[in-house]
Amino acid sequence: MARGSEVAGLEPEVPFGVAAARVLRLRSEELWEQAGGVLDTSDIERVHDMRVATRRLRAVLEIFEACFEPEAHAAVLGDVKALADALGERRDPDVQIAALMRYRDRAAEADRPGVQGLIDSLTEVQEKGNAKLERALTKALRSDLHGRLEALAQEAGG
Amino acid sequence: MKARRVDGLNPELGIGEAAARIVRMRWDEVRGFVPRALDARKRRAAHDMRIAVKRLRYVLEVTSPVFGPHAAEAALQMRSLQDVLGKVHDCDVLIPLVRDRIGRAPDSDAEALWALVAHLQARRADLHARFVRRWAELEAENFTAQLHAALEQRPGTDRPAGERRPDTMTAADPAGEMRRDLADSTARRTS
Repeated sequence: MARGSEVAGLEPEVPFGVAAARVLRLRSEELWEQAGGVLDTSDIERVHDMRVATRRLRAVLEIFEACFEPEAHAAVLGDVKALADALGERRDPDVQIAALMRYRDRAAEADRPGVQGLIDSLTEVQEKGNAKLERALTKALRSDLHGRLEALAQEAGG
Repeated sequence: MKARRVDGLNPELGIGEAAARIVRMRWDEVRGFVPRALDARKRRAAHDMRIAVKRLRYVLEVTSPVFGPHAAEAALQMRSLQDVLGKVHDCDVLIPLVRDRIGRAPDSDAEALWALVAHLQARRADLHARFVRRWAELEAENFTAQLHAALEQRPGTDRPAGERRPDTMTAADPAGEMRRDLADSTARRTS
């Protein structure tokens, strides 16, 4: 996911609230589109893509804060941050393990067991991160985060 | 690091004016970390600057169509800066993890892990030097003036409709797809 999609029809005179609704809907859809297969630790790019989508959604919630109903906005932003944190706890060991595996493969034979021990301990951290991510995704679904994002957009600009 | 609040924003303001105020504020925040972040020893400053750059990048990515062409270029430049600062941060996170592991690993592994620490420290130094060069390039290109000029340009209101990009929103139910993935994942773990 190199970059977020450009929002159609965004012109300088479009009211901030109307723009907020359009951008929020687009970024929300992009987030859910990235959710498929995110718990599969054999394909770490899925978590990365969903994490980037979450960051973009969070950014939109912060950029357009003035357009949203404060209480609903605060609740949604908190839930998006929690999801982002959970994605980060999975992503950090993903990145570290990948870097260490590259290093291990180039290291001298005698050094490899020591590096592998570190990789093994980080794999345990990765599994814990994955369990936390699964809980965060379940919570997002049960609390209808998708629907609440749409309600925020509706309130902001129809 | 918390972003500073931008005053005077409201839903009726044009997106061009509102976004220009936000971009100016976010760029000021980025610049506020210089010269501290250019010192390789100031890890916290580099970390906070990375967050500030990320905020500016995302504002520009969303709003660059309402500004002059340099705004989109600025978004790419911030992405590049964020990327190198992110790699510096990755080293800053991993080095203490390896050091901690040395304290708990068998003696036979210590030498390999100290070699790994040295490798990561050298990589961190290279990446930070790359960040410093990148920043110097932005200053040489007079990035601030170019960005401010782009914010004053508000093209698009008379852009021919045929040049507008199609709406990329989909009518699918991605949340439903995620529910199915979660159910599949749970079934795999319990089977």
